[in-house]
Amino acid sequence: MVAILDGDAYGVNIMHEIMQQTDRSLRLNQVHASLHRLEEKGMITSKMGEPTSARGGRRKRMFTITVYGRQTLKHIQHLRENLWNMMPSSMKPIAGV
Amino acid sequence: MNKSDSKPVPPRWATRLLHWYCAPHLLEEVQGDLEEEFEYQVQHAGLRKARLDYARNIVEFIKPFAIKRKTSSTPDPLLNMDMYKHYFTVAARNLVLHKSFSAINIVGLALGMTCCLVIFLWIKDEKSIDNFHKHGNKLYNVYETVNHNNVITGSYATTIRYPEGRLQIPIADVKQAVPEVEGIAFYATGYELPWGYPETFQFGDKAYKFEGSRASEDFFKMFSYDILAGDGNTALKDLSSIAISRKMAEMFFGTPEKAMGKTLRYENKIDFVVTAVFENVTSLSSMKFEFLLNWESQMTRLGWASNIARTTLQIKEGADLGTVETKINRFVQAQLDPNDPRKVSLGLQLFHDQYLVDNFINGKPKGGRIKFVNIYSGVGVFILIIACINFMNLATARSAKRAKEVGVRKVVGSSRESLIGQFFGESMVLSFLALLLSLALLHLLLPAFNAFTSKNISSPVSEPIYWIVMLCLMLFTGLVAGSYPALFLSSLKPVKILKGTLRFSTRAIWIRRGLAGFQFVISIVLIIVAIVISQQTSYVQNTHLGYERENLIYMRIEGELMNAGNERKNYSKYIQFKNMALRMPGIAMVDRSSEAPHAMSFVVDEHDGLMETNGDDAIQWEGKEKESGIGFKPMSVGFDFLKTLDLKVVEGRGFSRAFATDSTDAFMVNEEAVKQMGMKDPIGKWISAWNKKGHIIGILKDYHTHSLHEPIKPLILDVKEYEYFGVMIIRTEPGKTKEALASLEKVYKEVNPNYPFAFQFVDQEYEKLYSNEQVITKLSNASAVLAIMISCLGLLGLVMFAAEQRTKEFGIRKVLGATVTNIVSLLSKDFLKLVLVSFCIAAPIGGYCMYEWLQRFAFRIDLSWWIFAFAGGTALLIAFLTICAQAFQSAVANPVQSLRSE
Repeated sequence: MVAILDGDAYGVNIMHEIMQQTDRSLRLNQVHASLHRLEEKGMITSKMGEPTSARGGRRKRMFTITVYGRQTLKHIQHLRENLWNMMPSSMKPIAGV
Repeated sequence: MNKSDSKPVPPRWATRLLHWYCAPHLLEEVQGDLEEEFEYQVQHAGLRKARLDYARNIVEFIKPFAIKRKTSSTPDPLLNMDMYKHYFTVAARNLVLHKSFSAINIVGLALGMTCCLVIFLWIKDEKSIDNFHKHGNKLYNVYETVNHNNVITGSYATTIRYPEGRLQIPIADVKQAVPEVEGIAFYATGYELPWGYPETFQFGDKAYKFEGSRASEDFFKMFSYDILAGDGNTALKDLSSIAISRKMAEMFFGTPEKAMGKTLRYENKIDFVVTAVFENVTSLSSMKFEFLLNWESQMTRLGWASNIARTTLQIKEGADLGTVETKINRFVQAQLDPNDPRKVSLGLQLFHDQYLVDNFINGKPKGGRIKFVNIYSGVGVFILIIACINFMNLATARSAKRAKEVGVRKVVGSSRESLIGQFFGESMVLSFLALLLSLALLHLLLPAFNAFTSKNISSPVSEPIYWIVMLCLMLFTGLVAGSYPALFLSSLKPVKILKGTLRFSTRAIWIRRGLAGFQFVISIVLIIVAIVISQQTSYVQNTHLGYERENLIYMRIEGELMNAGNERKNYSKYIQFKNMALRMPGIAMVDRSSEAPHAMSFVVDEHDGLMETNGDDAIQWEGKEKESGIGFKPMSVGFDFLKTLDLKVVEGRGFSRAFATDSTDAFMVNEEAVKQMGMKDPIGKWISAWNKKGHIIGILKDYHTHSLHEPIKPLILDVKEYEYFGVMIIRTEPGKTKEALASLEKVYKEVNPNYPFAFQFVDQEYEKLYSNEQVITKLSNASAVLAIMISCLGLLGLVMFAAEQRTKEFGIRKVLGATVTNIVSLLSKDFLKLVLVSFCIAAPIGGYCMYEWLQRFAFRIDLSWWIFAFAGGTALLIAFLTICAQAFQSAVANPVQSLRSE
């Protein structure tokens, strides 16, 4: 999601995006916790943005994906594709539903 | 986004919660996100929902990742060890570099602290007296307020009365009448505590004298004295019971256990059985006794000696004191004679307070020793403040030098807080060193201090409270002493300092002068106090009392000596002793008197003696009006009494064996008695004491029969040649005291073998009356010396500062031809003015305090001008010498040195 919102990824924004795209309900603390974990793992980095008037002058922490993060994403994508492909084709439509 | 006037705000408590738990490095983004979400919710779901959601969000954020603080690699300024190390290094270097300054600082502070510590220990000791009783908070002393012709007096005396000639104590049955009273204990006291004189006990061939008292049954139940053997609850139950101390038990029987059940002979009169042995009474108890006799025994078998018995009640916990007081009063009033002009009411005072608050004002307990405690706490704090002021002055004096350091530090980026921290730290280091020094001093001084306050104070190293006090003292001194330099120096502008134009505002200079002046005010007051007290004490000790107190010995008449010898009067043991002693070397005269001459405390007023005279007053005289309220000191003596004491007769004649009527009919009174009785031509008028009536034959010149605290009281003297009680007064020949004592002992052993030989010197005993004053003299001398020393250190600091500030000025002056005298006077003039001003403030204060103090003496010195002149002169002289020492140094300095730089 950080990668999708390239350059404009921060807490609330990410949450709303996820909620819109996946139709899942989500809490802000969950987003923060995940971001925190990802940052610790080195998949994303962050820096404080410029203060804007919208948030009472508070700065946003802007997240960007790292090379390692991107690799991991690709890796997951790859893994899933492999697994998908390994499935017998008769199962596919059912599983897809 | 519509911006209405009242922008919706999230619940404040939730925000606060977030601030509290959230890690600082996360706070900004988290709160930002939360608020953005909140605004989003306000627009999409309404304010209520938004607020709820916000709060929920915040609560949900309480998770480890949000709480955990970041361990940062950039140092927290508060925990920077390197910087602290550096501060210490700088402090240490400063100490070593300015040795004299540091020494002055530390010594001054240490003196102040020592003084403070000693006083703290003393006060702690004073307050701990009588504090060891288990029921301490339930024990109350009963005091008596007497209103007699609107003269209100108070005392701890227990009210007694004599219905039909029998003695009765109205309060005795209070336990039955007032349910709140759990226990009642009487503790009898003589003229002096505990009984006035030691009494003799015998067991086998051992005979010793002990001081003790009498107490009633519940005494050991209420007061917590450790019982070593026997049962405290029943110890004083029987008429023949006696409780003795460990010391007494060991002297007679070896061990406390062996003492139980043994019989001791009291004054060769009555046998008492030891029913309990208690641990020696410590100095923490205001009641001091080696033994306690059964109280009833004193009243029924030995006779009533004085009515000064103290009543202590044990009141139920939680009982309302006022109610109990009213109930007790109602109970006692019912038994008193309603026609008695003396209106008595009783009050209760916490037993623990009796030691410190033992004075009565307007019939209520007020003042007493507590005054000294308060005065000395004040003195202690003052001396500490003086010492702190000193430190401040010296530190500011040095600040001209430290200012550059401050400037550089500020330029490099030191914050004001860390500078303040540094200076406080430095003063803490100094006060810590001072504390160490003062602890050492304390250990050196305590034995001496204990010796002259006759206390047993040790520094309680094992008690945590002691260390807490120490720590507080150190922190307090460090903070107070360091406050001015820390706050002042850190406020300096670096540009100004580094440009070299450091000028102190006149206000700052005035503050420092004010501080120094304040020190001198205190010092001068203390000097005045010290002079007056020592003058008064020496006046008291050297004044002529009206009799010759040198070479005078007195001994109690007791044992065989008391037996009158019936018909063969002239062969009584007393006469035998007298005659034998007179033949021995070194003894000039022997006679008897009912009381020791230096401290006659027996006073009768018109309500004494009711029992003996069937309702008449004890003392009556020709032309007496009713209710005169004069307190007489009656005294019975032998024929040679006047000669023995060397008393002067102003009118009439003294007692003489040549007049046969003198032993039955003659009275002598002193001038004061004549004045108070209002008699004209008193010689030949009749007068009576108890049942003896006679005529006045002579008038004695007033002489002091007790301490100079009290005015001379009316005295009435008669001869009772064949009644032997009271004391023997022995005049020894000058310079032959040793022979006289040897002779006396020899004769005494022969005549009165069952009693140990014991004697007192009148002059020594007289001085003991003023032991309090002697202690105060020493204490006030010490504190005056201390205060002036510390003040001078402070003055020295000021002068040093001034000299340093004006180095260049002096250099130029010298170059232009100023002499050393010019410069010294230039420097010292201001400071001497300061001392003069402080003198003007101090003199009235000191004068007033001392005037108040002298009121305690009926005979006192005048507050003459020279005392003040001397105090002022001393202060001025010492100050001048101090100033000169420094001023001279800067005056003789080579001007080249001071002008060369720049």
